[in-house]
Amino acid sequence: MKPVEEPPPFLGSWSALYAVVVIELLLVIVLCGWLSRWGR
Amino acid sequence: MSPIDWAVLFTALACFVAYGVWRSRGESHLHDFLLAGRKMRWGTVAFSVMATQASAVTFLSTPGQGYVDGLRFVQFYFGLPLAMVILCITAIPIYHRLGVFTAYEYLERRFDGKTRSLAAGLFLIQRGLAAGITLYAPALVLSVILGWDIGWTCVLLGGLAVVYTTTGGSKAVSHTHVLQFAIIMTTMVAAFVLILMSLPAGISPGDAAYVAAQGGKLNALQARFDPNDRYNLWSGLIGGFFLQLSYFGTDQSQVGRYLTGQSVTQSRLGLLFNGLAKVPMQLFILSLGVLVFVFHLFVAPPVFFNPAVRETLASGPAAAEYQALELRHRLAADARANEARAMIAARRSVDAPGLASAETRFVEAQQELAKTRTETVALIRAQDPGAQTSDTNYVFLSFVLAHLPVGLIGLVFAAVFAASMNSSSAELNALTSTTVVDVYKRIVPGGDGRRDVWVSRVATLAWAAFAVGFAEFASRLGSLIEAVNIVGSLFYGTILGIFLTAFYLPRVGGTAVFVAAMVAEVAVIACFKLTAISFLWYNLIGCALVMVIALLISALMVRKRA
Repeated sequence: MKPVEEPPPFLGSWSALYAVVVIELLLVIVLCGWLSRWGR
Repeated sequence: MSPIDWAVLFTALACFVAYGVWRSRGESHLHDFLLAGRKMRWGTVAFSVMATQASAVTFLSTPGQGYVDGLRFVQFYFGLPLAMVILCITAIPIYHRLGVFTAYEYLERRFDGKTRSLAAGLFLIQRGLAAGITLYAPALVLSVILGWDIGWTCVLLGGLAVVYTTTGGSKAVSHTHVLQFAIIMTTMVAAFVLILMSLPAGISPGDAAYVAAQGGKLNALQARFDPNDRYNLWSGLIGGFFLQLSYFGTDQSQVGRYLTGQSVTQSRLGLLFNGLAKVPMQLFILSLGVLVFVFHLFVAPPVFFNPAVRETLASGPAAAEYQALELRHRLAADARANEARAMIAARRSVDAPGLASAETRFVEAQQELAKTRTETVALIRAQDPGAQTSDTNYVFLSFVLAHLPVGLIGLVFAAVFAASMNSSSAELNALTSTTVVDVYKRIVPGGDGRRDVWVSRVATLAWAAFAVGFAEFASRLGSLIEAVNIVGSLFYGTILGIFLTAFYLPRVGGTAVFVAAMVAEVAVIACFKLTAISFLWYNLIGCALVMVIALLISALMVRKRA
């Protein structure tokens, strides 16, 4: 088995990849908020 | 359906099964059969994880939910990306390092045999019943729409999945997941484009979004906190987070998918891709339903989408009453279509008073339409108190049959079958893993790989027979289905609490967590019986109680010993 803390093939570190996932979620929430506001 | 659609459907089904059998030939070790030899790359892991969660009901009811209720259901998935990150940090390295086959195996190493047995037992009960419902729910819709016998539809759905799951195990499941999920998403995108192109001439995508908003369908976010409201930002982020953490971290049907990854990195990337893609995917499928709503603003929808119920009403003693309701519904739909066009025209010409008046009349027409539907549902109930009064699951397929071109109809039905096979095959593989690793191998240790694979095949067949049998039984007991779904949500929080205690509270031992799990389970059941709290919160309550009580018992035990 490869070492547990092997870096990911993209973005250089796992923390950066986790941050991408969280930032995308925030953007989707902002989009949903904008859609709801536009729909009112 | 036309002969071409039938040909497309049956060719696709034959290809799915043949592909699964072909990709997995030569399995001779338990390691290969249950975990695909841990050789999968992250793309396969990601598609397999997503395909397992997206059952046929997801693809039937999500567009229906978008049609009826707008985009608000997307909030249910807000906790999922966060749960993926936590699992990548915590669970994946531990499971890989220990080289376990099942999540419950880890519990014996961390606590003791009784805690492993408790978690594995809860999983087998809950997932075994859910496997029956996974077959029954789409079989019900398909049997009504295609005019098939529901019993044989359950046998067909279960039989297709069992062929390659029994012969090829986890490898077959993962490879067919990739193929089937790609076909499902391609079909959904094609349907979306065709619906957009089917809108009346002169209606732009911007107009479609505007009238959808006026119909209250773009309600994607509710930021107000209300514990009794099932779908809002907070229930999705907090309750949904714990639900997804439990489902992906402790349910073998998901754990078994990402443990097929060839390394920690491959498993992590698979889960993170799921975290990135899942919420946009759900938003897209809900938008498909909203688009069907916009289409039906200009083309009158049926008063009730379930064709079998409509036929029963039309040929029964209340036929005259039903026809009058149908006529009123059509007139209201025509009025709503006129007001929708008037709104669009007024918006384009920046005619503020005209727009305000058209919007008011649109809402009135919408209310009249809703009133005729409510009266129709009341009539259905009056004629047959046991009849299905929710038609959400029939919205999308009714639209597909009536308005999509020949060929694509067959492909959409193939996608629904594929989705059912996806979740069923993963469930059967997970039930087999838990039965063989957490039950059989503990009673009959040792043995060679070939024998273990054959035992696994027999276990897969036995669970498939149980699932089909339960689905047949469920078709006679409608209320049982709801009960089974609730049973699932009642256990998830407790199981998650056991695992989080294992991960994060190193001083807590087996007896403390076992007692805490029992107490927490009673408390969750009391919440369900005595309060109106939405089920998403049970996951948080059960999990928190297990951890807090386990800590307290552990502290008391230490003090007593001292």
